[in-house]
Amino acid sequence: MTAADPVLPPRLPVPAVMRANRSMARTAFRSLVTHQVSFLFGLLATAFAALSMLYLWRAVLANGPVHGFDWPHMKAYLLLTFVASSLVSSYVDYRMAGRIREGDVAMDLVRPVGYQRARFVEALGFGVYELGTGLLVVVVAALAFGGVPGPAGGEALVFAASALLVFPLRFAVVYMSGLLVFWTQNYIGVQAGRIAVVTLCSGALVPIVFLPLWAQDVLAYLPFVGMAATPALVYVGHLTGSEAWRAVGVQAFWVVVLWGLGRAMWGAASRKLTVHGG
Amino acid sequence: MARFRRAAWLYRRFLGAHLRSTLEYEADFWIMSVAAVLAQGVGVIFLWAIFESIPEINGWQFWDIALIYALVVMSEGLSVLFAQGAWTMSFVVNLGGFDALLVRPFSPLLQVLSSQIGMNGLGNCALGAGLLIGAATHVDVDWSPATVALGLLLVVSAALVKVGLNTATNASAFWIKTPWSMFGFSMHTFGELARFPITIYGVGVRLALAVVLPYAFMSYFPASAVLSTGVAHWLGFLTPLVALYCLAMGAYVFRRGTLRYESTGT
Repeated sequence: MTAADPVLPPRLPVPAVMRANRSMARTAFRSLVTHQVSFLFGLLATAFAALSMLYLWRAVLANGPVHGFDWPHMKAYLLLTFVASSLVSSYVDYRMAGRIREGDVAMDLVRPVGYQRARFVEALGFGVYELGTGLLVVVVAALAFGGVPGPAGGEALVFAASALLVFPLRFAVVYMSGLLVFWTQNYIGVQAGRIAVVTLCSGALVPIVFLPLWAQDVLAYLPFVGMAATPALVYVGHLTGSEAWRAVGVQAFWVVVLWGLGRAMWGAASRKLTVHGG
Repeated sequence: MARFRRAAWLYRRFLGAHLRSTLEYEADFWIMSVAAVLAQGVGVIFLWAIFESIPEINGWQFWDIALIYALVVMSEGLSVLFAQGAWTMSFVVNLGGFDALLVRPFSPLLQVLSSQIGMNGLGNCALGAGLLIGAATHVDVDWSPATVALGLLLVVSAALVKVGLNTATNASAFWIKTPWSMFGFSMHTFGELARFPITIYGVGVRLALAVVLPYAFMSYFPASAVLSTGVAHWLGFLTPLVALYCLAMGAYVFRRGTLRYESTGT
């Protein structure tokens, strides 16, 4: 038995896995709502971020549409990317990083649930909370800023597919950035860097059409736009028909690729793991 | 005066000690610096992308807004380099570490403020200084030794506004019994609204930024004073006074907090 050949914990039967999944997700969700004061101020912080973006874009578009975005549609776009960006925000990788740095991750190695799947299930639990608060902020903001136009007609199916793929895609990226802690030991910096890159490249700050052409071409094939912009662009009618389906295809492609990469990365990371006594 | 000199000396020694321990982790330092430049740089790219499509926002041109933005980045950088400790309050107070500070012969507030060095500070300062210089050469201002000196005074005052407000908002730790600085953080996010000209906001938001928690004095007001634009731009020359007010407010809230501090019972 070498270090490169870790003992595999026994597999659980399927009903037990489902039960484990449910309770892991529920625990994750509860850990957030227990601290109500922090919860409220966290919500407030998110609301301020949305507020500043809305005001700024209102001023930018005051003299008419830019790059095909008028103010009502920009509102819809911003609010949708805002909800998308609030998903898998930082709880999963925060917890992962803490356990990796403290060495508690050693306990995760012997659990009978795969590490990546367990984190995904946890992320779903956090996600319920994130989606709830995100939608709450968005509804209030939409009311305060005079409502948003409805979705572009005839694209309900492609919108749903695209919106559903946002979550696993965001999870994969956040999960891998969390695993980086095995190598860097630093988490806050990695997280801040990841948030910056994702926010810009996913179109959550500014629609990709505002960027130079070469950047648009590159970003169209990277996983980032699928983390926020794609469903929002379908909603406001900038992505339609086969073009929209191709964007969804790019999303699905990256979900599969990044899920696999995540597994490979975890394999490499767990072989590299150093835990000091304790 | 002797007391003041001693306090300044101790503050420097505290920071120095933390700086040395921080630099032990060189990789951390670089990761944090790059992350800071990325985080703020994304905001600059964002502004630049907008100004590629439109000439001005509310009468403000790119370099005017870059100046406002640079002041926020610079204030953030200076405040985390020299007073990052404010962010440890919720942790120190609510996990009982504050007891130790109370028995030392040095102001507890200064001990708290000097108890950490933000490694992202240098990255912020580098980017902030670059932007400031870029803005200074592009905006319509005749620079003379006097205006440069005034500009520097405003930069330092703006940073002190941030330090004062960080202290006041984080001292909420004495009332809100959690080890996370969520109140301070949410107010910090509110302060980020001052990255843009406050004229784009509604009246309520503007008043809050100018009067209630005067984050606008960290960026918008000093910038409009230098540029001589905007409504009541002379207000910006009051930034040093507002800085003193914010520091005093921070000290006051902190003192009120220590009076009701009752340790953790451990």
